[in-house]
Amino acid sequence: MTQPRIERQLRVSGVLVLTGLLLEWITLLWSHPTAFLVFLLVGGSLIAAGTVFYLYSLVADTRSAPLPQGNRAP
Amino acid sequence: MGLPVGWSATVLVAVILINIVLVAILILRPGLTATRAGKILAFLSLFLLPVLAGWAGVSEHVERSKTMAFCLSCHVMEDYGKSLYVDDRSHVPAVHFQNNLLPRDRACFTCHTDYTLYGGLNSKLRGLRHVYVQYLGTVPQQVKLYRPYHNRECLHCHNGARSFEESPTHNQNPEVMASIRSNQLSCLGCHDTVHNVENLGKATFWSAGSKRR
Repeated sequence: MTQPRIERQLRVSGVLVLTGLLLEWITLLWSHPTAFLVFLLVGGSLIAAGTVFYLYSLVADTRSAPLPQGNRAP
Repeated sequence: MGLPVGWSATVLVAVILINIVLVAILILRPGLTATRAGKILAFLSLFLLPVLAGWAGVSEHVERSKTMAFCLSCHVMEDYGKSLYVDDRSHVPAVHFQNNLLPRDRACFTCHTDYTLYGGLNSKLRGLRHVYVQYLGTVPQQVKLYRPYHNRECLHCHNGARSFEESPTHNQNPEVMASIRSNQLSCLGCHDTVHNVENLGKATFWSAGSKRR
C-alpha cells in the first residue's frame, strides 16, 4: 500500500524540518557567531534534508503508483 | 547578550512558529495529505515556509553580525570595546565612537568592512577558524590584523570631507593626497593611536553624561 508509505515519509521529513525550525528559533535568541553557525550548518542542514526528503517522497509516490488500464503497453 | 530585536526579527520568529505548528499537525495527522487541501498544507509547511524561514533567518543573522554586540560577544574582543571609551582625543576609534562620527551599534563593522564574513573566501575561512580557536584552541595574547589596515576603510567616509580635503598636512605636497588615495601612504602612519589595548590599564574612560575636566 502506497498511502502508509508516503505517510511515513511525510512524518520523517516533518520531524527533520521541525527539528531544524526549533533549532533556528533557538539560535535567534542570541547574537553570537556560534548561533549563526548552528543556524546555518545544523538547522539549515536539517531543514534541507527534510525538504529534500519531502520532495523525494512526492516523486517516489508518483513512480510507484499503478498506471491506469488504458496506458498499458501492448 | 544585548540582542537587537527589530520588526524583521519579530516577523521571522512568527513565521517560524507558524511553520512549527503546521509541521506538527502534519506529523500527527499525515493522512490529511490525501485531500487537496492537505497536499497544499504539506507543500507550504515542508517546502515553502521552511525555505522562506531559512532565507530570512540567514539575512537576520548577517545583519546581526554587523552589530557591535555581535563582535564583542567574544571574550577576546572585550578590551577593544573598552578602548572605544578611552578619554583621549588622540585615540582614533574612541574619538569616532564618542562623537557619533559612525553609528555606535555598528562601530566595529564601519571601520573593519572586510573582516571575516565580509571579506573574500580566505577571510570567511579565517572567521570559521576564529570560532574554532575561541572554543577549542588557544586565543593569542595579542590580536593583530592579517594585513595592513587599508585606507579605503577611512576614505569611504573621509573622502570628499572638507576637513580631509583642505587639511594643510594633506596638501603640503601634491603627492601626499595621491599616495593616501592609492593606499601607498597609510592613514595610520600619522594617525597611529588606534585601539592601544595594551595601555588600557593606564587610561581614563569617558562615560555619557560626564564632563571633560
